[in-house]
Amino acid sequence: MAERNKRNIEVLQGVDRLRVGHKKVVKGCEVQIQHWEKVKGDYEALEDQLKTLPDEVSYDIMVPFGPLAFMPGKLVHTNEITVLLGDNWFAKCSAKQAQKLLEHRKKHVRSALDDLHKTKKNFEARVGFTEDLEKLSGAKGDYVDIREEVESIEEFVRKGKQRVALKPHTKPKMEAVVKMEEEEGGGEGDGGSRRGVLSEEELWARLDELEAKEKLEEEHDRHFGSVDTNGNDDTTSSSEEEKEGDGGGHHRVNGHDERSEGKMTVPHNSGQVNGTTREEEEEDKGEEEEGNGLPTIYFSHTVEPKKVRINTGKNTMLKFSELKEQKQQAKRKKKIGTSNGHSHHGLHNITTPTDIYRLFVDVKNGEPIPRKSILKSRSRENSGCSDTSESSAADFEERRTFGRTLSHDENTCSDTSDGITEEDSPTGNPLHPTRRFEAFSCTVVEKEPIPLSIPHLTIVPPALPTIPERKLEEVAPDAPREAPKRVSKFKAARLQQK
Amino acid sequence: MAEAIQKKLQSELEKYQQMQKDVSKSMSARQKLEAQVTENNIVKEELDLLDTQNTVYKLIGPVLVKQDLEEAKATVAKRLEYINGEIQRYETLLKDMEKKSDQHREVLSSLQQEYQRAQGLAVGKV
Repeated sequence: MAERNKRNIEVLQGVDRLRVGHKKVVKGCEVQIQHWEKVKGDYEALEDQLKTLPDEVSYDIMVPFGPLAFMPGKLVHTNEITVLLGDNWFAKCSAKQAQKLLEHRKKHVRSALDDLHKTKKNFEARVGFTEDLEKLSGAKGDYVDIREEVESIEEFVRKGKQRVALKPHTKPKMEAVVKMEEEEGGGEGDGGSRRGVLSEEELWARLDELEAKEKLEEEHDRHFGSVDTNGNDDTTSSSEEEKEGDGGGHHRVNGHDERSEGKMTVPHNSGQVNGTTREEEEEDKGEEEEGNGLPTIYFSHTVEPKKVRINTGKNTMLKFSELKEQKQQAKRKKKIGTSNGHSHHGLHNITTPTDIYRLFVDVKNGEPIPRKSILKSRSRENSGCSDTSESSAADFEERRTFGRTLSHDENTCSDTSDGITEEDSPTGNPLHPTRRFEAFSCTVVEKEPIPLSIPHLTIVPPALPTIPERKLEEVAPDAPREAPKRVSKFKAARLQQK
Repeated sequence: MAEAIQKKLQSELEKYQQMQKDVSKSMSARQKLEAQVTENNIVKEELDLLDTQNTVYKLIGPVLVKQDLEEAKATVAKRLEYINGEIQRYETLLKDMEKKSDQHREVLSSLQQEYQRAQGLAVGKV
């Protein structure tokens, strides 16, 4: 603080000196301008005189005689004027010619005056600026300093991939280069090849660098997760890839979450902030009056995630941003919201399709029963398999939040005999009738306790956008049917036909 | 040791000051030349405005000597060239002097540092 004050004082002094210097220049300009104005006035008087002089052949005047006396005399040859041209050169001219010369001189004076005026204005402006600067540093007036703190380079690595040189192409290109070099000079063949070798080495070094960078990136992604400004997330970074193939218990995940929460740095994502870090952020933002001598607003950029809109059919658009991560976040959120820990959390890390199957197991009535392939799911609409209906409330909640946060998944087909997403979606629909057709909403939805009877949701990877749409269509007619009588669709159809 | 450095410092300082004076002298000479150039330019232009009817005089001491207009023009032109040449000369001179003075400055600063170090050592010793 003391240092800052000292610096401030120095800055103030410097600014002061600058201002004084500028003012001096301005004053100098003014003096010059005055001088030239006087000259101009003289010339104008002379011009008048010249005009009237030839009117008469001779004038009676009082001739100066030495410094103190005058003598009456006559002014003759009124048209002959000896003009000092400068540098000890004289010319005898008529009055008219003298006038011409005079005009020429006046032009010169005028240009000098213009220049002086310009410089004066310039410096006056500078004086104004330095005064403003003084005000700024002196914290007077209404000036507010807006600062944006640039985070360490780590932060820039977080989101997405950096633009990496096209590795696959480097080598072939380089080879071509080497060849060319070799071709170029027989004499400098050695040099060329050496250069080629060098560049090759350089390239390998560069490749290594980039690999290291990518690793770093991955790690950072793991730690800091992805950016999601859907605002759903008050939970922190998702650690999706982190536990690859790890079916570990939720406690591990929890632990990691806590850690990542701690690590989460604020300024980048205002949308994804933990409670603690949020506080920090708010402290940083807002005005600081201390030490600066100037009210400061700390500003930070929020990074928007890439949002891609997908038209998944008539009037449905999905924001397809980092769905995996969103899923993860949804899971996290649900986890936080439900305050039930279960073993499902451990399976949240979806990296391969198999993960999905692993994840979306039916509620255990003993053991987790893996669901069947999603391609068969359509047949399972409204199928009344009793297993699923008896899943625990927590599971239901879990599924429901899945459905809520992942609108595109909401109505995706169940993948097993048990999956009745449609059953769930009707319940979901009245609550959020529009959500089905919307992208992920930014609101956190607190789900009410769901009756046990409602079958739980199954979620299918979002890669099949058409399926949800179809599901929607199919769901609509089924919407009113809340009570799940699990009958296979085909059976139902047959029944109907009968 | 410190005294030797001090003496060196003094001598260097004097040299540097001398250099600075030279630089400023050349600068002022150059400025004078600039003024003359402007003046001669005006004279040249005004001579162009005149015609042969007018007699041109040159002031040499207390005497106004009659001159031919053409002669006068030629003289003025030559003078202009001369002055421009002088200006160029002074420019190069000035540049050299600047460089030398910079060198001197560096030497001076290094000597100063040495001196301070020696001072510090001396203080430490004492």
